[in-house]
Amino acid sequence: MAIKIVTDSAADLPPELAKELEITVVPCNVVLGDVSYKDGVDIGPDEFYRRLVSGPGFPTTSQPSVADFQSVYQELTGQGDSIISVHLSAKVSGTMNSAQQARDSLESAEVHVIDSGMASIAQGLVVADAARMARNADSAEELAGKIRGGLSKAHCYFLLDTLEYLQKGGRIGKAQAFLGGVLSVKPILGMRDGEVHPVERPRSRQRGITRLRELAEQMAPVSQLAVIYSTEAQMADDLRRSIGDMLPGDQIITARFGSALGTYVGPNAVGVALTQA
Amino acid sequence: MTVISGSDIREAFASGTRWLESYREAVNSLNVFPVPDGDTGTNMLLTMRASLERASQGGYASASEAIGELADGAFWGARGNGGVILSQFLRGFAQGSKGIESYEGSDLALALAEAETAAYGAVGQPVEGTMLTVIRSMAECAREAVAATGELDARELWAAAFAAARAALTRTPDMLPVLREAGVVDSGGMGILVLWGGALSHLTGLSDEELKSHLDGFAIVGQAGADEMDRAFLEAIEEVEWGYCTQFIITGEQLSPDQIRQHLSGMYESAVVIGDEHNVRVHLHALDPGAPLSYGASVGQLSHIEVQNMTEQNVDFVSGHRDARPPTQLAVVAVTAGDGLIRLFGDIGCSVVVSGGQTMNPSVGELLDAVQSANAENTILLPNNKNIVVSAEQASAGRSDLHVIPSKTVPQGVAALLAFNPEDSLSSNLHSMLAALDAVTTVEVTRAVRDSTVGGVEVAGGQFIGLVDGELEVATETPEEALRLSLEEAGISADLVVTLYLGEDGVQEDANVLVSSLESDFPGVQIDMVFGGQPHYHYLASVE
Repeated sequence: MAIKIVTDSAADLPPELAKELEITVVPCNVVLGDVSYKDGVDIGPDEFYRRLVSGPGFPTTSQPSVADFQSVYQELTGQGDSIISVHLSAKVSGTMNSAQQARDSLESAEVHVIDSGMASIAQGLVVADAARMARNADSAEELAGKIRGGLSKAHCYFLLDTLEYLQKGGRIGKAQAFLGGVLSVKPILGMRDGEVHPVERPRSRQRGITRLRELAEQMAPVSQLAVIYSTEAQMADDLRRSIGDMLPGDQIITARFGSALGTYVGPNAVGVALTQA
Repeated sequence: MTVISGSDIREAFASGTRWLESYREAVNSLNVFPVPDGDTGTNMLLTMRASLERASQGGYASASEAIGELADGAFWGARGNGGVILSQFLRGFAQGSKGIESYEGSDLALALAEAETAAYGAVGQPVEGTMLTVIRSMAECAREAVAATGELDARELWAAAFAAARAALTRTPDMLPVLREAGVVDSGGMGILVLWGGALSHLTGLSDEELKSHLDGFAIVGQAGADEMDRAFLEAIEEVEWGYCTQFIITGEQLSPDQIRQHLSGMYESAVVIGDEHNVRVHLHALDPGAPLSYGASVGQLSHIEVQNMTEQNVDFVSGHRDARPPTQLAVVAVTAGDGLIRLFGDIGCSVVVSGGQTMNPSVGELLDAVQSANAENTILLPNNKNIVVSAEQASAGRSDLHVIPSKTVPQGVAALLAFNPEDSLSSNLHSMLAALDAVTTVEVTRAVRDSTVGGVEVAGGQFIGLVDGELEVATETPEEALRLSLEEAGISADLVVTLYLGEDGVQEDANVLVSSLESDFPGVQIDMVFGGQPHYHYLASVE
């Protein structure tokens, strides 16, 4: 009997990595115009950002339904396996809610639902770590405890071009403090206690990328490291190069914000996520 | 031998203040920089007015009581650098007068010694050749006179200290190169001399003509200065129209400052109520000042009533002050002038913005009122002007909940405020805000108020001058040229961020042309232009 790992598409795991680690990704929903798309399945990032920027209208996102989780859980536990399901912070999304309801509806199956307290590839790193540990774990319950115990080691910093999308999407939260003003600033946001928090306000993108590197370096040594971008791969490459000495290059993950997170970070966003060793 | 009583000392400083009034512009015009500087004469005069207002009742049983009141009033009304040092001088004077019924010569010497210590203590790094030197000479002269003669008549000692002050003032240009270049004596020192001399005329019957001959001997190079500044001063204060700033103190028994605050803050803007069960100080803005006074009289006895038409008041609380703010852990209070800058500071995270700047230095009391209205457990204060740094430090003295980040310029203040994160701890914020000050280079462009030579740069009155981190670097014919040359001096280059704050006298079209040409000359540079609306400075800019 194996332990299977499930997450949602807000983890922004590169598809090839999810496949390699045998992680099942349940897609979030994004509604553009009148049409609902499954993130990463029905709509890819290129088309999503094109429509995000040029409109018309503004996309909305929604968590996977209870039924989405039910069918995934049923399929996986049908083989007698147990499940660890790690998700986007409950403080920013209802995904946890759907997953928990799906678990409660399946009486016989062993499903552990964990709130990563994170988003995007920081959540992805927690999930990837869980998948690696699952290979040699005997008890799903023990593994779930271990994953919960390691959550405080995950960190992320996202450099946004603008807070406009976070505000339009109604997820501004504590980043409110960095809103406003006629000066151009490139806000850096992080996640703490499951919420989005303001970190810094550098005046230029270049300064911001330098700060991302410094913030990451302050967390060294790291066991996992990832860079992520929304529209400009070059920005992620530059950042990846600048933090290249923190881990062997082939271990640094490059990810892309999917539509679930892209709705809020907007174009020209870049970020770094890590788990401390 | 004649002594100086409590009412004598009060009347002496009242006479000194009258003299300061008539010499205000003379003192103002001694400002070293060809910038409309902090109006030392005006600031010292306003400080003395506040001092006398506090000591307005008269009939003092002792000299220590009178000087204590004078010092207390000066503390609360202190304005600008010169005013704060003056208030500390009086505070030290009062501390050295404890238990004195009437001054004899030796008592005065002791009081002056304490005054000297306190004045030096008011500034972080005392500079000789300033009013501090003048104060020190007075104290030294008194000490020596007492040592030499054993006992000395108090009035004679006052006269000797005046002579010493005058001699010291004459030497200030030898001690401070910047004064020598400008061909002037120190303005604050001149203010002290006028105040002390005016007091002397009351104490000894020295004739006006004689005193004038002592005071008028100091050559004043500039002529345009005083007029120019007063015009600017008046223009700046005409902006505000909020009815009447009404201040009074209620005295009684079992007063409840909380209840009074609750009552008044519901009805009036900017209501600040502080005090204890015996004395409650009220400050508020009312369209009709009569109503709050009637309320106050129904609660207790009124005193220290001050009603000022706000168009005549040079400093005001501007934003974030209209409603009582909910309590927070950490807030920032900043001082700045100009519509755009006031809005900007509010937008990027300031709880309360006090209107003030180069020629409008807020008093210690006003800074403390603003801090109170920020209603936070800890408050960080950004003075944003070198003349206001001292007032801010004075305001924070002895308070563990008030922290000054000594921003000397508006761009430094913006950088510090952008480094502020309400989510972070106090210590981490203080650390990053302080570090932010050094990360920006400030450029200021203004019009020279008179001819002078500063730092080897020859300036003709009316020219536009550019200052880089407070040092005059260029003098030229247009503000845009002054800005461009100063930015080059500040090391503008690709990869840097330049922020321009257009002043109220700046011309948008000219600024746009300049920005385009800078962008083509320095590819890669990021230039943000913002309307600051600040007085005096056609441009403020930061390079970071």
